[in-house]
Amino acid sequence: MICYLGKTLLIEEKGKKIIVIGDLHLGMGEALRDSGVLIEIDMIGSMIKGLDEVFKKTGKVNEIVLLGDIKHYFGKIVKEEWNDVLKLFDYLKEKCGKIIVIRGNHDVLIKPIAKKAEIEVGEFYCIGKYCFVHGDKDCDEIWDKKIEYVVIGHGHPAVKLQEGVKIEKYKCFLEGKYRGKNWIIVPSFSEYSIGSDPRENEVITAWNLPFERFKVRIVGEKLEVFNFGRLSLLKK
Amino acid sequence: MAEIKFIEPNSGEEVKKVLHPIVSEWFFGKFKDFSKTQLYGVKNIYDRKNILVSAPTGGTKTLTAFLGIINYLVDLALKNELEDKIYAVYTSPLKALSNDIYINLISPLEEILKLAEKKGLKMQEVRVALRTGDTTPAERQKMLKKVPNILVTTPETLAIVLTSPKLVEKLHAVEFVIVDEIHALTNKRGVYLTLTLERLCNVSLIEPVRIGLSATISPLEEMAKFLVGNGRDCLIADVKLLKKVEISLDYPGENILESENADNQKKLYHLLDELIQGNRTTLIFTNTRNATERIVHHLDLQFPGRYVGMIGTHHSSMSKEERFKIEDRLRKGELKAVVSSTSLELGIDIGSIDLVILIRSPKSVSRALQRIGRAGHRLHENPRGKFIVLDRDDLVECSVLMKEMIENKVDKTAIPKNALDVLAQQIFGMAITKIWGADEMLATIKKSYCYENLTKDDFYSVVSYLAGDYALEHRHVYAKIWYDESTKQIGKRGKLARVMYMTNIGTIPDESYISVVVGAGEGKGVNVGKIDENFLERMKRGDVFVLGGHKYQFLYTRGMKAFVKAHVTKNPTIPSWFSEMLPLNFDVGLAIGKLRRLIKEKIEKKEENINFLKEYLYCSSDVAEEIYSYCKEQHDFSEVPDDKTIVVEKFKEEKEYLMFHSMYGRRVNDALARAFAFAAARHKHRDVEMGICDSGFFISGEKLDENKIIPWVTSKNLRDILKEAIERTDILKRRFRHCAARSLMILRNYKGREKSVGKQQVHSEFLFSAIKKISNEFPILREARREVFEDLMDVYNAEKVLRWIEAGEVKIKKIRVPIVSPFGLNLMIQGRSDLIKMEDRASFLKRMHELHLKLIGEKGK
Repeated sequence: MICYLGKTLLIEEKGKKIIVIGDLHLGMGEALRDSGVLIEIDMIGSMIKGLDEVFKKTGKVNEIVLLGDIKHYFGKIVKEEWNDVLKLFDYLKEKCGKIIVIRGNHDVLIKPIAKKAEIEVGEFYCIGKYCFVHGDKDCDEIWDKKIEYVVIGHGHPAVKLQEGVKIEKYKCFLEGKYRGKNWIIVPSFSEYSIGSDPRENEVITAWNLPFERFKVRIVGEKLEVFNFGRLSLLKK
Repeated sequence: MAEIKFIEPNSGEEVKKVLHPIVSEWFFGKFKDFSKTQLYGVKNIYDRKNILVSAPTGGTKTLTAFLGIINYLVDLALKNELEDKIYAVYTSPLKALSNDIYINLISPLEEILKLAEKKGLKMQEVRVALRTGDTTPAERQKMLKKVPNILVTTPETLAIVLTSPKLVEKLHAVEFVIVDEIHALTNKRGVYLTLTLERLCNVSLIEPVRIGLSATISPLEEMAKFLVGNGRDCLIADVKLLKKVEISLDYPGENILESENADNQKKLYHLLDELIQGNRTTLIFTNTRNATERIVHHLDLQFPGRYVGMIGTHHSSMSKEERFKIEDRLRKGELKAVVSSTSLELGIDIGSIDLVILIRSPKSVSRALQRIGRAGHRLHENPRGKFIVLDRDDLVECSVLMKEMIENKVDKTAIPKNALDVLAQQIFGMAITKIWGADEMLATIKKSYCYENLTKDDFYSVVSYLAGDYALEHRHVYAKIWYDESTKQIGKRGKLARVMYMTNIGTIPDESYISVVVGAGEGKGVNVGKIDENFLERMKRGDVFVLGGHKYQFLYTRGMKAFVKAHVTKNPTIPSWFSEMLPLNFDVGLAIGKLRRLIKEKIEKKEENINFLKEYLYCSSDVAEEIYSYCKEQHDFSEVPDDKTIVVEKFKEEKEYLMFHSMYGRRVNDALARAFAFAAARHKHRDVEMGICDSGFFISGEKLDENKIIPWVTSKNLRDILKEAIERTDILKRRFRHCAARSLMILRNYKGREKSVGKQQVHSEFLFSAIKKISNEFPILREARREVFEDLMDVYNAEKVLRWIEAGEVKIKKIRVPIVSPFGLNLMIQGRSDLIKMEDRASFLKRMHELHLKLIGEKGK
């Protein structure tokens, strides 16, 4: 069973409650400062606030799956990443015993941090009919017969709603069938990047997913998610 | 008490008397007599009086400023008393000065030197050096060894010079400062320069004489104070037009209604072709970059082959090199015509232009004068200008502009005051050069006319920002200065401060330009040009636009690239006159209102009216008739609004509309529209859309109660309403990003790397929410609001209009009409420009969801 809970998914499988969290990009504050944007940003603080809301609703869960791109810098680990990623891991460990970290394309150097927190890092995670990957590259496990659902991050999907001159952009899930599997693209969890509208910008994944046939579920406030039907039917 | 005084010209004899014999000999070897401008300026500068010289373009202003100085320096050089220091600093807003400087400075000095040699006199060389952002390090080094006596520079580079310890030593006794093209500095760049000049005075042991050179502009008293700062005297030389401006007005087609018809656009190009072919060189101004592109495109289309290599475009989003190439070809007489948006209004001599065509209204008298002043640079030739109007509003507007030009009534320009972002950059610059007492620093700043009324609170809030006081963590990253409360001292922080300052200086926002790349079909991957971010924001997938004379269809964006389809046959869907629209000057708006009133008084008497118009507007019978019948139509349908009557029409289309006919220019209307729209939105708790133009604005929504909405906005509460009304707009967010860059919160160059705008392209939305989390009253955020209020909008005059209404001097007349009236038509066609958001994101989403479910039924589930 899949429940859409704000920007996250709550999946019940094999008697387990699993929370799935999309891309985080911790360390972006430092990346911005490093590029000359000298504005103070409390990424981890706002993230933990968002997670508090989710866990208040779910209560105890059995597993937490992070869909990758936990950190932002590719080739190095900056101070903010050490601090914030560890802070996040500590926080999540308090919420549940099993944390699964899937390595995203930004997570080249996630292992030293994960090791310090005693958390394993993998390229994928399968449980029952579900397979979780980051989404930047294909992987054999997806195509296993028993897998019915492929859950990915990476693409940062969002859609624009327009009425007259008013345009607002919202994070969304994209969900649909492709090569015999059900695919769900989870939006990024960071409130500092909304994401890209597949009708204007490419939502990048390792596959050529037919998004126009995919369903759009828009993330509202207070963990509400609204089904807007097929992307192709969403008028611009 | 400082004295600002208008002066009369000196006699030629008086001026001649002050010239050194050798300078006099040189001068009269080259010129027959002093120009009028020189009669005003030369002796006064020689007498070391601060002076603002205002003269129409094409005058002899630069030499006026320099003649007295050259005279003084030559005198010293002949006595072998010329010191190793900078005597005079000259700044101009244009980097491409070298050519003009050669003509106005270097060649006179060389010729005088030769003359001296011929006479067997020994004379030291008077050195001139040009320093801009393009000057190489080697050239800069040379300048230190061989100190120039006259330094030619730009406002930004002068600020850099002031933070270079070695060069600043040579400025310790600077005697003259020349500010050229000061009329082009009534913006943050000018504000910046006023502080730079105060810093220069602060390092100099003597007060330099300030010389300002300006094209026609008003009010001159204010410009004089802007030049000299508070507490200093200034003379004003208001040199009246020496040459007669020949100005006329035309429209393509038999009558103006025919010109309005889009099918008749061909006629415009035939008219242009006729004019271009009938002259040697024609300069065409179009107001917007898009129109520039469109005109070149269509001329080529209508007259295949005729304009290949003979016509050029010149606008601000072209690269410096491309623009320079066009200017150069223009000067050499290689081009038949150049089409420019606004960029050619200013600057260096572009050769002999026979005719200046203004397509659509230039929106202000001074701008029209500056543009037309680009023609007839040669002596004894009158500048010739022609307005080409394309609709009836344009016709009325340009006719009034023509009247004002002929009668020499120049509209008023405003200068920004108390800009905190510019202040932040300058405080940082000041702190780099030495440790300041806070009081001394504040006193220096307050000498600038733009900071006369700066409060202590504002000053210290900027100091706090720069000192990193707002930061919770990483203070070391944010803090640029230190402030010690016990000693009240301010100094720089960090070893890299100077480098950071020098590489990030300036006030012109880096408009982010998006590369346009062919994304599909023929020519895939080809980079076809650049468009600015604002333009892109207005585009939807499938829209067709013109760039570089070709049509493209917008597909999608990725990062800093917009992907398009080339070889499109569809017509453009993005209105060409849309963005970058120049606002109508408030005074011109009032003049149009007055004209309407004078027509209205005798509206039933056609004959009398037409005779009156011909005389009043110096126009032809055809034009008079067109203007009269336009007003008559409005009168028969509803009522003619004028300078004492705002007509508010109510009508219903898919929504209810309140159309305010308020002829005050877009900047005032922008403020009024947002305030009234906010009143309406608050009343109904729903978003209200609005459209804004120079002649009025409309608001539209579900149900609008004009009797509640109109009285709710007053001169007293306008600012408070607007503060709330703009808080969620994109405009404020975008302006904030510019202010953040000016106050060095966002750096172009950091840690030795130059960041392309693309790289630091953080969404303004994101920056805005981050800053609001820090403080809603963050000084730079307050500056963004001020900029929106005072520079983008004109809250000051909007308050004035509201006071007129409150005092009964202006009446509001409410009328119900079945459809939009003739005067409102253009505004309706132009459409909605923005909205006041009352409904928050969450409720909008919910409502859209319900709507959407109804629309798609179960199909999409």
